[in-house]
Formats: sequence, C-alpha cells, structure tokens
Amino acid sequence: MTVSARRRRTGLAAWGFALPFAVLFAVFMLLPVASSLYMAFTDMHGADLKSPWAVNFVGLDNFVAVLGDPKFQQAAGNTLYFVGVAMPLTLGIALLLAVLLNSGLVWFRSVFRVGFYAPVVTSIVAVAVVWRFLLQPDFGLVNSGLGVLGIDGPRWLTDEVWAMPSLIVMATWRNVGYSMVILLAGLQGIPRDLYEASAIDGAGAVRQFRSITVPLLRPTLLFCAVITGIGYLQFFEEPFVMTQGGPLGATNSVAYEIFNQFGFGNYGVSAAMSYVLFVAIVILSYLQFRLLRTEK
Amino acid sequence: MNRTPRLAVAATASTLALALALTGCGRSDEAGTTAAGSSSITDGPATGTIEVWAMGTEGELLPELAEQFEADNPDATVNVTPVPWESSTEKINTAIATGEVPDVMQVGTTLLSGFVELGGLAPTPEGIDSEAFFPGAWDTTVVDGTSYGVPWYVESRVLYYRKDLAEQEGLAAPKTWADLTDFAARLQDAGAEHGIALQTRGNSTALMYLPFYWQAGGEIMDDAGEFTLDSDAQIKALEYYSSFMRDGLAPPVLVEEEKVQNFIDGKLGSFVSGPWERANLLTTAGDDFADSFGVVPLPADEATGSFIGGSNLAVLADAANPDAAWKFVQFATDPATQVDWFEISSDLPAVQASWDDPALADDEAVAVYQDVLTTARSTPAIPSWAEIEHELDLLIEQVIAGDLSAEDAAQQMQDAATSIGTGLD
Repeated sequence: MTVSARRRRTGLAAWGFALPFAVLFAVFMLLPVASSLYMAFTDMHGADLKSPWAVNFVGLDNFVAVLGDPKFQQAAGNTLYFVGVAMPLTLGIALLLAVLLNSGLVWFRSVFRVGFYAPVVTSIVAVAVVWRFLLQPDFGLVNSGLGVLGIDGPRWLTDEVWAMPSLIVMATWRNVGYSMVILLAGLQGIPRDLYEASAIDGAGAVRQFRSITVPLLRPTLLFCAVITGIGYLQFFEEPFVMTQGGPLGATNSVAYEIFNQFGFGNYGVSAAMSYVLFVAIVILSYLQFRLLRTEK
Repeated sequence: MNRTPRLAVAATASTLALALALTGCGRSDEAGTTAAGSSSITDGPATGTIEVWAMGTEGELLPELAEQFEADNPDATVNVTPVPWESSTEKINTAIATGEVPDVMQVGTTLLSGFVELGGLAPTPEGIDSEAFFPGAWDTTVVDGTSYGVPWYVESRVLYYRKDLAEQEGLAAPKTWADLTDFAARLQDAGAEHGIALQTRGNSTALMYLPFYWQAGGEIMDDAGEFTLDSDAQIKALEYYSSFMRDGLAPPVLVEEEKVQNFIDGKLGSFVSGPWERANLLTTAGDDFADSFGVVPLPADEATGSFIGGSNLAVLADAANPDAAWKFVQFATDPATQVDWFEISSDLPAVQASWDDPALADDEAVAVYQDVLTTARSTPAIPSWAEIEHELDLLIEQVIAGDLSAEDAAQQMQDAATSIGTGLD
C-alpha cells in the first residue's frame, strides 16, 4: 500500500513537472494540428472564421481537387526539381568544404568557417537585395563577368529556364554553411588513429575518404540530409522574395501555393495541400533513413 | 511504454475534434451578410473613446487630424493605432473573429468585401451622401447592394512621360490608343530605349491592365452579377496591351525596381503609375526633375478609364461606440476636413467638392487627377476578387510572353472567374 501510494505520488509529481510542457504542447501544437486536419476535410474558407464549426464535410474532395489542379501539379514538379538538384548539391558542397576545412586549411580556418556560415544567419531580405543586384541582367556582377568571357548571360530571374537554377544556386549558398558546420563537427569526432592505421596499411586519401570518412560520417550525413530535405521541400522564401513564383509559374512551389491559397481564404484546399506536402516529407525522410542508415 | 499516454492524448484530442465537428457541422441556410436596416447618425457632439486603426503613413499622420476632432468634440477621445499594411489583413481578420475590434478602421478599397464577408463591418447609416464622392470610390464600399463604409482618400493611374523628349519630337499628349502607340514609338526616336513601360508579370499586373480593358468598353461583371470577361473588348485590350512588348515599345519583361531610374536616365519615355510616384521621382532625381516630366490622363478608346484605389473608413459591426465612430467618419469625409487631410498627408480627397479648393485646383500636378477620378473605377467588391486577380495576372503574363492567344486568354479568364465564383453566397 505504501509502495503504491508512493508510486502514485511520484506519478503525480511527474505529471506536475510535465504539465507546463504538456499544456503548451496541447494548446500550441496538438490543437492546431488537429484543426488543420479537420480543415482539410471541410469546405472551410475565409468567411467561416467566426463560426468554424458551421462548415460542410466534403470527404476527400479537397485532396482530389488539389491533385487535379494544374497549378498545384506545376508547383509540385518545381518543388521536386528544386529538392532533387539543390539537396545533393548542398550536401556535396558542404561535405567538400567540411573536409577541406578539417584537413588542409589551418591558417584561415575560422575566417572560412564564419564566411560560409554567415549566409545562414543573414536575413533573407538582405540576401534577396544583394542577389538581385548580382543577377541583374544588364549591369549585374554575374552577367558582367560572363560578358568578359564573351558570353551573353540570360535574364536570370525573368527567364523561364534560368529562374529555377538561379534560385537553386542561391538556396545552396544560403544553406550550405549549416550542413558544413554539422559535418565538420562529425569529422572532428572521427578518431585520428584510424587514419594513421590505414595510412600504414597503404591507403591513399581517396581510399581513406571512401572507407573511413564516409562510413563514420553516415549518422551525421543522415541528419543533414533529413534536415535539408525537410527545409527544401518547404521551399518558399526564395521565390517569395525573388520571383513571386514567376516567370510563368516556373518557380512556384508547393509551400508558396499553400501560402497563396490561405491568402485567398481557401482554408480547406490549402490545408489539404499542406497534408500532401507532409506526406511527401514523410516519404523523403523515410527514403533517406533507408539509404543512409548505419549498417550493422 | 512511454508511447501509450501520448497516443492516448492524441487519440482523445482527435476524437474530440471529430465529435465536435460531427455535432456542429453543416452550414446554416441563412448564413451570409445580414444587411441590418441602416440606422442614422444622431445629432450633437461625439462622446466617449473612439478606437481607430489606420495603416502605413495614414496611421502615423492621423493623430494630427484627430486633434481637430477632439477640439470640436471635447467629450470625445480618439485613440489611433497604426497597423503595418503587411500584417493588416490577418490582424483585422483575427479581431473580427474574436470580437476584439476597434470602432473605426481604415480599409483598403479592394480589401473591404473580405471583411464584409466575415460579418465584420456595419452598414453605412443614412445621412452620408453617396453623391458627394467619386462614383468609382463609392462603389468600392458597396457589397451585394449594401454600403459598408465611406471613401476616405483615393488614388488613380495616369501616364508619366518625359516632357523634354516629347517636346523634342513635337508630341502632344496621347488622346487615343493609336496616339499612345505612336507616342511611345516617337519617344524612342527621341532617344529612349523604350517608349513606355507596362507591368508584365507578378502581383497587380491586372490592375495595370484593366484600365485598357475598361477603355475598350469591357466590363468585369454585368448587372446580374455574372462575369463577362470573355468579351471582344478583352481580346482587343489584351492584343493592344501586349502589342507594346511585342513591338519593342516596352520592355518584354519589366523589372519594377529599374523603372524609375531608367525614366530619370532618359532610357524610358513613359510609364503608368499613381500619384505617389511624383514624390518618388523627386526624391530620387532631385526637385529640378519636376520640369522634365509631365503627367496626363491615360488615353481613351471606346471610353475613358483608369483604376481608382485608396482607402475607405469603416465602422465595425461590434464597435463599442458606434455613434461616435460614425461621427468621426462623417468628420473625416467632410469636404473641408478632406482638404486639411490633403495638406497633412497629400492623400487625394474622395469628396468631389474638396477639389474646388485652391489647395488642389491650383496645383497642376494634382489637378490632373480630378477628371481621371470622375470616370475611374475599381475592381468588383466581391470577396473572391484577390483570387480572380491572381488568375488574371498569370494569364496576362502568358499573353505577353506569346504563350497564349488573346482569344484563349479571354476564355480562360472567364472560366477561372466562373469556377472561383463571387464568394457571395
């Protein structure tokens, strides 16, 4: 009896400690998630804010409408294009920079580390202004540079073909620093003696990279891939500040389309879109876990 | 082990939500805007506190005008809260949904119908004369036959052109569509890289384009409330609008940020914009630049037409002090106050009588707007307009790029608008 009473009391104390978080979590996380799920299956729109229960259930109609909408299809295609190119590019460059910073460069290591990380903490608004100058077709640095080489550069942000690659480069530049710092920490966690032992066995730099660095970095790479993938699937800020989704919808993303539909008051439809995006994130993360999990 | 309680909580929450949803769901038939019989404003001075929300520059300058009102009504206090434009819609929506509203607020002309749809605004009482305002401005307050506010200030679109280049070629201000094409071509002869700049893509492209549609005799909706976007006027206007880009008279893709600088450098001959652009030009190029450019109304085709924008003042349906609120609105839209406000803020008066005042009539840069405003019009006051406008923006961009014929675009505009609907049910 005393044992069970004491257990009950510790149980209560535990709940007491957990309560502040549990309440905050329920109010600010669980409730919005539940209500957005509810929204996705109703015809709720802007005018229903005052009476959110007085709406009709429409089953899967929103999802059918979303998947059949050519604008959403274009946005989904653009998002896949973006993730498909920008994610490997970001991780590849981040790994390269991390390895370089970890081995060769000794003198200016912290200068480079700060330099590559700075874009991560810089406001997108400031970044957008600078990049718009860089990509300006007539006097921008990029096209001026190309002009010196005798190449007539395209109108980067207003050309249907080049707008997306421009944003991919910009997003990569912005995000590479984050993965780089994480990977650098991972690299520094690999014991030195493994490299020394393999050098004695006659392994070159490439072999060391393939057989020691990459396998031991797998958990770190997985983390970076998942975080980058989730961020990139929600691709929004770059088109929002740079192109407004144009030209001709070439840089419209799923997250941007959700933002637009919310703005138009189509809450049901945009909630449904959000869940389609959510499913895509789950699938991508699952694939990454399968692909990069540590082999036993 | 530690999964179970969390799952249980989640399950309970979702069942709860579902149960609530199932019991409470379904739209009631009488939903929609309830137009209460319009009341009238009482006589005598206003009393009590009046909470006012105003946006941007207006929010900063309004206290100056409010002091005058407080002097006339010693028992009344006006509290002005400035709200940034960017977050205004969400903030107002939230306020209306929760009932924590101000008494009076400034409402952008194109946003008003959305707040009416939410049931947030009170119908305009008797005693405010609709005839006193520019008709296009008054129309922006009328949703489904009932007025929900009073025009406060207006703006309209006109043609800015390089006077020196035009004089060099001996050009008169363009009066017709053919004139404008010729005007742009001749400004290029005088040395401009492009004769004119028209918005080619992005938000509000439709607002730049629609004046041409109205000039061609087009209507967005007919009297019965049906969309009429697939008209011959639409095809004509789309072809005319895109002809400038196609024929090299306007940049095929306009970068808004470069427009003003190109105009100042003489690379751009003319462009369409609103009254705020004058201050913008003078700040960038210096006050001497005022002699180098002129401002004229847009040309006419079948009719004259321009876009009218600006803001209305509306009283909230849940206002705590509605009578004093309407008195404040009445004060702010009085012809004399409107002139004072013009001097404080440079906002153009929505009241027609104010334009006879020398402060406006003798100022050439301002007087040009008077005629334009008499026939200028706004987009329909329907809650779904923002979404329809977004579709128009995208279709106009495709016509300019040459990806879509004017005929197909007109048809697709009509189809898109019809499928989106008016949002009034």
